[in-house]
Amino acid sequence: MLAKPDSALVIVGHGSTVNPDSSAPTFDHAEALRVRGVFGEVHCAFWKEEPSFRQVLHMVGRDDIYVVPNFISEGYFTTTVIPRELELDGALTRRGGRVIKYCEPTGNDPRMTDLLLRRAAEIAPGVDPAQTSLLIVGHGTGLNENSAVAAKREVERIAARGLYAEVLNAYMEEEPLIAKWDEYSTQPNVVVVPFFISDGLHSYEDIPVLLGIAGASPGAASAGGREVFQRNPYHLRGRTLFYASAIGTEPLFADVILEQVAAFDAVHAA
Amino acid sequence: MSRDVEKALADWLAGGGDRIGEIVIARVPEGWELRHAEDAGHADLALHAQPEAARHLANLDAAGNFRPLKTVPTLVRGWRLVLGDIAAVRRALDYFYPAMTGAWLSHTRGELVPVVLRETLGRQTGMYRVTQKLTDPQARELIDRVCAGCLKHRLWEIAAANPSSPAFPAGSLPLLCHEACNLLVAQAREVVKKAERAVT
Repeated sequence: MLAKPDSALVIVGHGSTVNPDSSAPTFDHAEALRVRGVFGEVHCAFWKEEPSFRQVLHMVGRDDIYVVPNFISEGYFTTTVIPRELELDGALTRRGGRVIKYCEPTGNDPRMTDLLLRRAAEIAPGVDPAQTSLLIVGHGTGLNENSAVAAKREVERIAARGLYAEVLNAYMEEEPLIAKWDEYSTQPNVVVVPFFISDGLHSYEDIPVLLGIAGASPGAASAGGREVFQRNPYHLRGRTLFYASAIGTEPLFADVILEQVAAFDAVHAA
Repeated sequence: MSRDVEKALADWLAGGGDRIGEIVIARVPEGWELRHAEDAGHADLALHAQPEAARHLANLDAAGNFRPLKTVPTLVRGWRLVLGDIAAVRRALDYFYPAMTGAWLSHTRGELVPVVLRETLGRQTGMYRVTQKLTDPQARELIDRVCAGCLKHRLWEIAAANPSSPAFPAGSLPLLCHEACNLLVAQAREVVKKAERAVT
């Protein structure tokens, strides 16, 4: 069991200026970890919200600081924005008597495979995986190239377990398009899990519209957006479809955050 | 612990501090009570007893709009938050006014270094790199427009550090802005893009 009473944990996320649910899972995981008392202190920081990346280190009391990016993959934010804004020298930064330990993003954790499988089983209870197509949905644009790579990696890992009849990648903005889910999935049951760190416009509105389970209605990304997850299953295009909320809302992400800290220590011999 | 935010907060309260932003803090038999300053003297307030309640109280304004910038004076009224100890008060304040107790401690220790806007914009990459084209008049207009709606005291200038050492009202924990926030940077992008569209 990890115990770091003399260390601080800072979980960094993207956040949003329009959608409170973007930062909500990161705050939730921080609260869960605070209750467990693993660290002397736990803080969050966001690119688009407060506390910002530029503010957060002023909140920290302890000199030994772990920074865990709550991002679905390595990419522009984890390699450029976060190190720049926190003025990091690399994995290990020593400055003004402090040691800042920059961990891998949560999405890189090997546990992600189990979390996706767990989420898929939860939203389709009693449904036989041998008659089910499992679709892992990523964003899929040039800017998020690494998130597509991470989504592909997870699909390969889940497929290798041989539980589901088929496991497929799907993207909002590149082939295979989630809008054509019924063309390339072959099973009577279809389970769709968004490979995102939080719920928001994509999971509340964009993907449901592309799937055909919701009409285009501006403003659906408000508080009522999550109702789309409560109306399972959907019967359309001759299939039974189950739609899950973003994988990052899974409470076990708190353990994934701890795992990133343990992995840092293992590599850097704390 | 090299920086003890909670001890600094306890000392400030013991010294008669009772106000931060729109919130007043009072000693009560159970510990400490926080409420909206405009609710002073009101009895019909919803009672909360966990610091995490502050996260949800601070999230939306009275009209239900999300508050990404917590120092905009749109904190909802009608609640009181009673907390047993300083650690809980600090946590609640971190939700109501993120990083402000810590920034204030850094300021008292001479560790809150203001960053001029040119430096903030100068290090932007990706979609915000274009903000480096923001002219001084555009920057001034932007600051007047965006920062006017924020309760923070701005310590930074456009190109040169603010040499004045501000005096803050006694009893009030100052909300300090040592660097332009991402909301302002995002607005700077809009200003530059709009100006470019007007030319073409």
